[in-house]
Amino acid sequence: MKPFAWAGLLALAVVLVFMLSLRLGSVDLTTAQVFAALRGQGDVNVRQIVIELRAPRAAMAILVGGGLSLSGAVFQALLRNPLAEPYILGISGGAATGAVLALALGLTASLTWALPAAALAGALLAILLVLGVASSADHRVDVRVLLLAGVVVGAFFTAFMSFVLSISDARTVRSAVLWMMGSLASSDWSTVWMVTLYSLPAAIALMALARPLNLLAIGEETAGYLGTNVERVKRIAYVLASLLTAAGVAATGVIGFVGLIVPHGVRLSVGADYRVLLPLSFLAGAVFLTLADIVARTVLSPTEVPIGVVTAFVGVPLFLLLLRRSVGARSGSEIES
Amino acid sequence: MWTGALTPWGGRGMRWSARWFVIGILAACDTFSGQQPPDGTEDTEASRSGYPVQLTDAAGTRHTFEEAPRRIVSLVPSATEALLAMAEADNLVGRTDYDRMPEIEGLPSVGGGLQPNLEILVSLDLDLVIRFAGESDLATAERLTDLAIPHFAVQPDGIEDVLTIIRDLGLIIGKEDAAAELLGEIGNALEGVSRRVAGLPEPRVAYLLGGDPPWVAGSGTYIDELISAAGGDNVFDDLGPLYASVSVEALLDRGLDLILVSEGLTPPTALGHLPSAELPPSVEIPGPRLGQAATDIARLLHPGAFEDGPG
Repeated sequence: MKPFAWAGLLALAVVLVFMLSLRLGSVDLTTAQVFAALRGQGDVNVRQIVIELRAPRAAMAILVGGGLSLSGAVFQALLRNPLAEPYILGISGGAATGAVLALALGLTASLTWALPAAALAGALLAILLVLGVASSADHRVDVRVLLLAGVVVGAFFTAFMSFVLSISDARTVRSAVLWMMGSLASSDWSTVWMVTLYSLPAAIALMALARPLNLLAIGEETAGYLGTNVERVKRIAYVLASLLTAAGVAATGVIGFVGLIVPHGVRLSVGADYRVLLPLSFLAGAVFLTLADIVARTVLSPTEVPIGVVTAFVGVPLFLLLLRRSVGARSGSEIES
Repeated sequence: MWTGALTPWGGRGMRWSARWFVIGILAACDTFSGQQPPDGTEDTEASRSGYPVQLTDAAGTRHTFEEAPRRIVSLVPSATEALLAMAEADNLVGRTDYDRMPEIEGLPSVGGGLQPNLEILVSLDLDLVIRFAGESDLATAERLTDLAIPHFAVQPDGIEDVLTIIRDLGLIIGKEDAAAELLGEIGNALEGVSRRVAGLPEPRVAYLLGGDPPWVAGSGTYIDELISAAGGDNVFDDLGPLYASVSVEALLDRGLDLILVSEGLTPPTALGHLPSAELPPSVEIPGPRLGQAATDIARLLHPGAFEDGPG
């Protein structure tokens, strides 16, 4: 299939899963009720459910799913490592530490935005630390050092967070665990707009980096010969992809697997050209997380399954299937990009 | 107002029996006069004549109830039991996954008490949600406000909190008499228990909630207060607030006479040589059965004091 056909198909799929997300949930609604609610008619409770609960939640799934998947694809290119995913460079550890500190210090009692703000601050701190460590004296970023620094900084933050939790009371521990499992349940329109404002520019700028990322994938030296400012591209790509991840983490906690398997799935289907891969990863990630959230909301209703469980349960078999097919069809070398 | 005289009773100054007696009586009086809950920061203009009832909830939010809410969901088992004890089963229209009370078993579930299913709450067309105060579940409070569902926060940590819940709910649903009766019963039971165990040596006990290393009940918990009321000495009342996790070594070091565990749990093997007892089901939820719970614990701690018949 041609890239444009894929793009059209996936864009259509985003619209479809969004509508499906409005239609399905713990409370049974008919399609007619959903459309009436969208036009502002019908029962007020149905309108609340569709417009204030399901719609912002689906929008958040699209934004965060797309963002995580896109930033995963960028990290895989940047680190030239197929295991790279959005959280690999310590962002989740930093964000979790921020969130846990906000909870333990009781900031969240009076300020409801304290938790996402602290999570974001923690993520940004981790990003700066990693970048600072990885930048050598002559301002070059060695991606191997970046990877190591990221993993180590992440481990430190995680340890610090465990320490804070071990001296916290039971309530803090409970809230922290709930937050760390990741959930879209608390999405409302104001958070959706905030995440949109924050992550859409980053996403678009990353897609604009597709050509230099293609060259980087061949090798830094070659890219340099071909006229790419390698250091600048690496730095910008790292910061933008991290910011994109941080926005998602602040709003919804740590949701795993999306950023790892969706870009690989797209790569296995359409090849490793980042001009195609990046936009398609965003769309596919959006579809995937929205679907996962529908499953999370409905399968054990009224209780919700943690969305990370669904992304793993659904994503891993799907990914293995793709992997198996691609190994059968061609050589496995594509996976390494 | 009885706040001034009684606030510093974290200390051991006042005899427990006298304390519970005073609490029971005063709590009942408060209800009758429409006076406010214990921390003294609140005041209500409601009197027995009824609505509007003005109350400040455990999250510090002020509420005015113009009439009795007709469609209620309680996310907090303590409040659910209190409402049922005041014969409010008709007005409860939903339950949580953890509610096993036969009166409400057939009602639709809204999921857990924390992070309940908002869709179902909306669809139930509620006048009032009773929710947990505090930090465990910030998003729910915010979302309920967004969705224009009235919500009243409670925090059933200590015995006093539970009595406050009963009194507040009585005012909200217009059943002050039932609330006063319930408070009187609890106060009498606690006072009776304390009188029975007065002067007896206090066994050193700890309450284990499970976990590895185990969590224990520290200061500020109703369990700690129940143990004191039942004539025991909670060896971890220096920890807290609320619950804390402690090493098995610390447990050994505190010189325990008896280990209390939740139903179905066994103490760590290193403590196998110490006597242990499962807490009765009445202790599970801090609610209207507090009096019974104190009696049950006292029977475990002081079997001899109850030989002459039922307490």
